[in-house]
Amino acid sequence: MYLLRFLATPMVVLCLLYLQGCTSWQINQLSAELPTLGPEKTLGKLEKIDPPDRDRSQYLLNRGLLKFYTGDLAGSRQDLEQAKTIMKSLKAVSLSENFGALTTNETLRSYGGTPSEQVLVHAMLAMGYLFSGDLDGARVEMLQADVTMSQLGDTESVSGQLASVRFLAGLIYEMNGELDDAMISYRRAYQIIRAREEKVPEALATSLLNVSLRRNNENLNDEEYQRYVSEFGREASLPGAHEGEWIVFYHDGVVSNKTETRLSVFDSNLEAQISVVMPHYPQSRYQARQLSIGAGDLKRTEVIEMIEQRAREDLADQSAKTMAAATVRAVTKYQMVRKARESGELGGFLANIAGLISEQADVRSWNMLPSSIQVARLVTPLDASVGIVAKNVELPALNKLGSRHYGVALVTSLNNRLLSYPPYEGLEPIEGQPNEQ
Amino acid sequence: MKIWVVILAALLFSGCSTSVKRVDSDTTIDLSGAWNDSDSRLVAQEMIQDALSRPWSTDFTTRTGRRPAVIVGTVRNLSHEHINLKTFVADMERELVNSGRVDFVASKDERGEIRDERLDQDLNARDDTRNAAGQELGADFMLTGQINTIIDAEGKQQVRFYQVDLTLISMADNRKVWLGQKKIKKLIKNPSIRY
Repeated sequence: MYLLRFLATPMVVLCLLYLQGCTSWQINQLSAELPTLGPEKTLGKLEKIDPPDRDRSQYLLNRGLLKFYTGDLAGSRQDLEQAKTIMKSLKAVSLSENFGALTTNETLRSYGGTPSEQVLVHAMLAMGYLFSGDLDGARVEMLQADVTMSQLGDTESVSGQLASVRFLAGLIYEMNGELDDAMISYRRAYQIIRAREEKVPEALATSLLNVSLRRNNENLNDEEYQRYVSEFGREASLPGAHEGEWIVFYHDGVVSNKTETRLSVFDSNLEAQISVVMPHYPQSRYQARQLSIGAGDLKRTEVIEMIEQRAREDLADQSAKTMAAATVRAVTKYQMVRKARESGELGGFLANIAGLISEQADVRSWNMLPSSIQVARLVTPLDASVGIVAKNVELPALNKLGSRHYGVALVTSLNNRLLSYPPYEGLEPIEGQPNEQ
Repeated sequence: MKIWVVILAALLFSGCSTSVKRVDSDTTIDLSGAWNDSDSRLVAQEMIQDALSRPWSTDFTTRTGRRPAVIVGTVRNLSHEHINLKTFVADMERELVNSGRVDFVASKDERGEIRDERLDQDLNARDDTRNAAGQELGADFMLTGQINTIIDAEGKQQVRFYQVDLTLISMADNRKVWLGQKKIKKLIKNPSIRY
């Protein structure tokens, strides 16, 4: 009886912890439903969840992204800025959270985001500023992304280095007339893609060719320009006097959720098999679907960032650390159960149950991100509208937007809303089901 | 024994409550190391004092017999932070107007509302209180500028260097009559450990 009373409080605490773990389960569930429900309904459901403080940044990242997709750009910026601030503050090591993680489970740590997420938050914010018409605000985010990537990266690894973010930075500098900075960013995007042995998308090739030519007063003999010409097998395609360019970003799909997997590890000190729970990504079956854009000659968007892949790389980079912590925790729990058993079978049984309930893998992630970020860059006459075939909608002529050179648009597979820079009020969502392709 | 429990509880709960302390608006409080109200105010004050100590305004007054009229053009934020330029520009305007040595005219954004009001007065105000169109004071100089930053970060430390550049340009002939520059350097050390 004394033992039951002794264990009652920890059991209640464990049950509460288990219930709190429900938040991440609920968010994962919503993320899985997002492709069919669409961002509007998913946002409504997400807003009913009240996350614990330690999951706040994950919640805000997802809510900010959904608000972005639904066109609430001010709300999105507010959430993503807040998430960014929380993630930054979590860089300091927490004593209490470390203790909790080593004795109970990893979900007791506040969610600080993976390296890719820490960079992508700047990209989503930059797009939010851009589609609100604030090019300088977008530029600020790109400068911050550069600092974040510099802090995350080292010479050996491409962890936290995102070609899509470098490309976006290049575009923002280019639109600002800062061609040297644009070239540096496009070059970095190219280097990251090459280091990962991925295909250089046409849009990036065009950007490298056009900017390397323009920044040297259209000198065709420029060494770097000639290098790109021989690599991509074509010349730059600079718009003529009555032409401009559309740069279209396409967010396709929803990134996978983490799940948990139980592994058996032999501990030589205990001379016993112990069981550890680890976060894990199931094998991805995602196939990128391209978007066709244009008037007459159609161009297709191409993948510049496979978020599915980045998420798995980030998890793999963390796996040794997570496994070490999980093993220490499992050994501690094993010893607790053994001690409890010595005082009676019931105690041992209850301690075992407590150990099992409390052991949870950290399956939190920014799991409403797209599976892939794709991009296309096309030259159009200033007075011609551009069709987006799958959405049965047209981007307005650039001169209608008041732009003489550039238009940027974002299309997502999740709904039919289009966002543009310069912002255009006529871009209302068209009727139809989400994910209509 | 009981008193110690009460004291301990009081200490614990005091950490949970929100506290508000009013401070003078001129007090410098640095929390994150980012650009803040003190930077905005101090930079505006120092730069405008510098601008007013230079000969352009007295030259103009001697030549024309009136105070120069200044308009604020574009001040761009090219820094790493989202800086509220409106407060910075307002600080500068205040310093210039309060000096009594220059006149300020409404900026491009503000003019629209004033012109709308004047049109409305044309229709609805009494003759003796009506303000006629076409009587605006044209600016003699435009103030433009930008805020740039250089950030060097390593581990938990960061050096932030801000450079504010302001230029006063004569509307008559595009002459740059004053170039102001203010630099701020901050060393920020982020904590390694939290509770």
